[in-house]
Amino acid sequence: MKREFFSIKTLAAIALATGLLASCSSDDTPIDNGQEPGENEDGRWITVAAARMGENPGDGNGGTLIYSVSSKDAKDPTVSIEPFDNGFIVPSNRTARLQSSEDGSTIFNISYAGDTGGNYTKYNVNGGQDFEQTGSEISIAPYVGSAPRWIKLFDGDQTGAAVYVDTENQFDDNDNYLRTEATMGVVTLDLQNSAILEFQESSLSLSEELETQGYYIGRIDMPTLNAAGDKLYIGARMSKVDPETGETDRNGEVLGSKTIVLDYPSLENPTIITSEVGKGNTNGYRSINAFLVNGSVYQANQGDPNGSHILKIGANNQYDDSYVFNLDEALGLEDAYILAWRPTASGKAVVAYRHAGSAEGVAGAQGYFALVDLESRTAQKIDEIPYSEDFYLFQYQGFVVDGDEIYVTEAPVGENGNIYVIDTETGEVTKGAELVNAEGSHFIGLF
Amino acid sequence: MDINFKISFVLLLFSISISTIYAQQTEPKSFDITGVIEDQNGDPISEATITASTLKHNYKTQSDSEGFYQLRNLEAGVLLLEIRKGNFIAHHQIAVNSKNFEHNISINTSGNELGEVHLQAESFKNKMEKKGFALNVVETAEASIRNIQTNELLNTTVGVKIRQNGGLGSRAEYSLNGLSGSAVRIFIDGIPISTFGSSYNLNSIPPSMIERIEVYKGVVPGHLADDALGGAINIVLNKQSSESINASLSYGSFNTFQANVNGLYRFDNSGFTVKASAFHNYSDNDYEVSGRSVVVTGLGGQQTPITARRFNDAYRSTGGTVQLGYTDVNWADQFFVGFTGSDDYKEVQHGAFMTIMPYEGRFLESDATLANLTYQKQDLLTTGLDVNVTGYYGKRNRQVNDTVPWAHSWSGERAIDFRGNNYKYTWGSQQEGGPTLAKINRNVASMRTGLAYAINNNHKILANHVYSGIDREDSDELQSVLENTFLGTRDLHKNILSLTYELNAFDDRLKTNLFGKYYQQKSKSVDPEIEINPDGSRQIVDDVVSSNKKYEGYGFAASYELSPTITLLASAEKAVRLPNETEIFGNDGDNVVANASINPEQSNNYNLGLKLGTFNFKKHQFNVSTNLFTRNIKDRIGLPIETSLNVDEELIVYVNQGSGTSKGIDAQLGYNYNNNFGLNFNVSRFDLKIENRGVEIDVPNTPFFTMNGNLRYSFKDLIQKNSRLNLFYTLYFTDEFSYLVPQGSNTVGDEFFKVPQQLAQDLGLSYTFPNQNFVMSFDVKNIFDKPVYDNLSVQKPGRAFYLKLNYSINKF
Repeated sequence: MKREFFSIKTLAAIALATGLLASCSSDDTPIDNGQEPGENEDGRWITVAAARMGENPGDGNGGTLIYSVSSKDAKDPTVSIEPFDNGFIVPSNRTARLQSSEDGSTIFNISYAGDTGGNYTKYNVNGGQDFEQTGSEISIAPYVGSAPRWIKLFDGDQTGAAVYVDTENQFDDNDNYLRTEATMGVVTLDLQNSAILEFQESSLSLSEELETQGYYIGRIDMPTLNAAGDKLYIGARMSKVDPETGETDRNGEVLGSKTIVLDYPSLENPTIITSEVGKGNTNGYRSINAFLVNGSVYQANQGDPNGSHILKIGANNQYDDSYVFNLDEALGLEDAYILAWRPTASGKAVVAYRHAGSAEGVAGAQGYFALVDLESRTAQKIDEIPYSEDFYLFQYQGFVVDGDEIYVTEAPVGENGNIYVIDTETGEVTKGAELVNAEGSHFIGLF
Repeated sequence: MDINFKISFVLLLFSISISTIYAQQTEPKSFDITGVIEDQNGDPISEATITASTLKHNYKTQSDSEGFYQLRNLEAGVLLLEIRKGNFIAHHQIAVNSKNFEHNISINTSGNELGEVHLQAESFKNKMEKKGFALNVVETAEASIRNIQTNELLNTTVGVKIRQNGGLGSRAEYSLNGLSGSAVRIFIDGIPISTFGSSYNLNSIPPSMIERIEVYKGVVPGHLADDALGGAINIVLNKQSSESINASLSYGSFNTFQANVNGLYRFDNSGFTVKASAFHNYSDNDYEVSGRSVVVTGLGGQQTPITARRFNDAYRSTGGTVQLGYTDVNWADQFFVGFTGSDDYKEVQHGAFMTIMPYEGRFLESDATLANLTYQKQDLLTTGLDVNVTGYYGKRNRQVNDTVPWAHSWSGERAIDFRGNNYKYTWGSQQEGGPTLAKINRNVASMRTGLAYAINNNHKILANHVYSGIDREDSDELQSVLENTFLGTRDLHKNILSLTYELNAFDDRLKTNLFGKYYQQKSKSVDPEIEINPDGSRQIVDDVVSSNKKYEGYGFAASYELSPTITLLASAEKAVRLPNETEIFGNDGDNVVANASINPEQSNNYNLGLKLGTFNFKKHQFNVSTNLFTRNIKDRIGLPIETSLNVDEELIVYVNQGSGTSKGIDAQLGYNYNNNFGLNFNVSRFDLKIENRGVEIDVPNTPFFTMNGNLRYSFKDLIQKNSRLNLFYTLYFTDEFSYLVPQGSNTVGDEFFKVPQQLAQDLGLSYTFPNQNFVMSFDVKNIFDKPVYDNLSVQKPGRAFYLKLNYSINKF
């Protein structure tokens, strides 16, 4: 009777369970062995970045996928690229903030949120879905948190910089509001050798007048090096508390756009400069918001009641208020808002924007591209690119600059589209490879 | 309800002429029955549970190693004896007058042989599960003497998945057929668990304090009405009214110590009854972890992977209940007033994920002090009218403590930065967001009242009302008086009424239950503001916003017994989940603003089930059941996506967006041989999809395929005569699932987001000493030390050993 423990039925049940387990094997996807790491005989690599839908169309929370083709293929409208089916999923819990080397042969990523949030990884681009991880993993999370705001500096792919701000309301002994202390942390990262270079914390003060009204710097982002390489500019967004209640005040006046200027590479001695031209924020969103062109840094602003400006910070590390470039005026629109942009070395640029007349698409305001001349302060909507109501550029990150050419992606949320190549000197627009989309998903640019 | 069943059972038993014993008539009011229970071979049956029921009372005892049993202080009348041993149940009926007498019971455990006096009857569990609801009744008797936590027990139930973020005491999320979070309502004796807080919950209450756990999937009966979109879990605390004391002590891996004691004493003359229970749990939870985030960081930020012991994860909970009152008196079957108190402390090792920055010194504390009231009476005023009242009133508090600014590494030591120095986080605390001593004080009240009237054996009407109210006040010692002054308060009051009609027809082969539910939710937010008077002076005024919402829901459950071994079950409900206070009023801290017009989430839930068995063939017993289900959710509440229009406004608002479906199948089978060998196996599989703006996707981060199996074998007299040794084996299987939505056919890099397929196995034994009062259990969890995860990369404990000693006296 006791032997029944090992009855045939028992063994059969165990065998059945084991069989069920064994049949659920994982499928191994073959990896294309492309060419030599980072090399490509048909021009540079162009890496397409795509963001899969998570819960809502256009939220991009379902994974960031990348797939590389040669620049020759990128320009070929008969080529079809399917990153959602064939891509490499970048290890980041939310939409990754990607950067690439200037020649496109390396992709840099810092994971955003989740268990590996803040981890820096780099990949050799080998074509297709083959991204070969190189270098050791390090994390900047201990310095700037697990959802870091980082940017690669334009210093020959040597350095990345990430920023963090922590705020605390201060009160006197009688519990009257004094000011809000904003502590900034800035970390620099050796991209080549995967090592932390420098980290500094500093207090950000505004004028006493602004501080007693409750203003403080609530968010910072988009570090950019100046031409001399001795100052780092960091974009800022102002916030305000109501000094009488200590609660957030959302009805404060929009102040002149501000930028934090720091010594580089020591990351010390922060000062704050204020534009007389533009109002609102300079911290951008996910795409680089300020660039060095011909010795000056040009910076877009957002949330400007008069529409986005491109502001200029001169070689003296001060805003050049004689440079006035308002996108509303240049395009003849209202509430133009720069979502992302990228200049060439010669001062032409492609700007992704939306405006008051944008349709409300499935994921938000309809987006457009404009060709901009920083010198003449003119802008022209690029009409050769189709703009569906569901074409949405809020999360747009990547432009490839190859000489005078700028590559962009165009695809409405959930629909196929194409790469477009804009010759910024002639204004000529070439329709390139087809981008195959997935439901509710979109493309966030090229690297 | 129970009594009605018993009456009909008595009649049934009469009709098939059960052996009936009449004792001689004398005067004393109470008497004892003693006797020996034997099987067909004349062997004594130990550990059988004998329940003697009259119309009003239940008396319960257990046979000892000699098969001897004793029932004391019985009243004269017709008694139904239920003899229960494992899955075997027999009924004897005895009609007695007042005299002590001896009644020896002989039962046949071998099957359907002719001429036998026993009747194979259904267990309480089976009976409940055959009423039409998609219900699992989880019995705690076996688990209570073993080293099994309540959550572990529930997790092996078909269609239930519990996801815990670590070891003992860590935060758990409950999923029923794919629906989780606020879609699943949990009750203790019908009172919402939100009344008790985290110090008195499924993490802290041991199985021995629990009589059974009822898991209603998708369709929740009227007597448990709440805004449960996906189902309800009801923990029924011990209800027995026989005198007993049980105590247990357990010690095991990770310095885990657990103790509990419960007892009941009744003064026979007055019916005055004292009931008390207490528990204490402690664990260091210092189990080993490894993986991609378990590293120590050196100069320049270089990382070295290590195997670390968790070092800030201890858990302690202590609590208990004392109830005083009367049982089995003419004005009440049960009347108790009492006090429930509990207190817990939980260190927090990491946030939702395990990162390279483990927390040191972050902990949560909570406590609850509640007065309670219970009143139960059958046949109040008139035959067939039953009343049932349970209420709790008191306070519960919760505090988060996070003030250590120093960074720590997984080695448990202070971490070094890239220069080699110890360092403080810029945010001044362990979790990003700054130091906090945030405290939430709540006044809580909840009362459930049930009235049932049985018109006759076929028709019954039930009315049920549940009220629950929470007044909440927040404060933070680390914030200024000014900031604390302007923190708002939130009140939430829910009233839910239900009406149920039960119809039994065709000789009880058809059972139907129709119910309607009426929900009312009043909520109020008070936010102090500064108002400027006409004369320019300022004053603080309260900005009060109220919302009063009313909704209806309805449903049914039905079962039809095609034959004694084939039962069809069907149930459906239009279920509602009311928006919570954050969804209605927003949350200043998270920049969420109010949406007074938000609608509740709704779901049409359907279950179709089939129960086969119990089939008896010689010494074999076998049963199978299955349930097919769909849940069709609409008006899901969520946050809209961030866009260029709202990113600078810093304002977001909860909205009703999109729909969702969950479809799947649960199945389980049970096999028993000669009451010595038992096998149970269940499997659950579903598809969960949501749809937003016309696009449907599979919900990620959902374990959609699970299996559980267990084996039990009993040896009699193996080491000592009259002893019993039980061996147990349990298997848990969870299929691979991904944190990300399903990707394309040929993508790479998917592994990063995957929780791998998991198979954990436990072994256990329990040994009952010959005197039957003393049971020792030993369990090995996760015998092969496999890494197990409920959430992406959050490792749960590996192999662990636990020893438990139980002592019980069932009669004084």
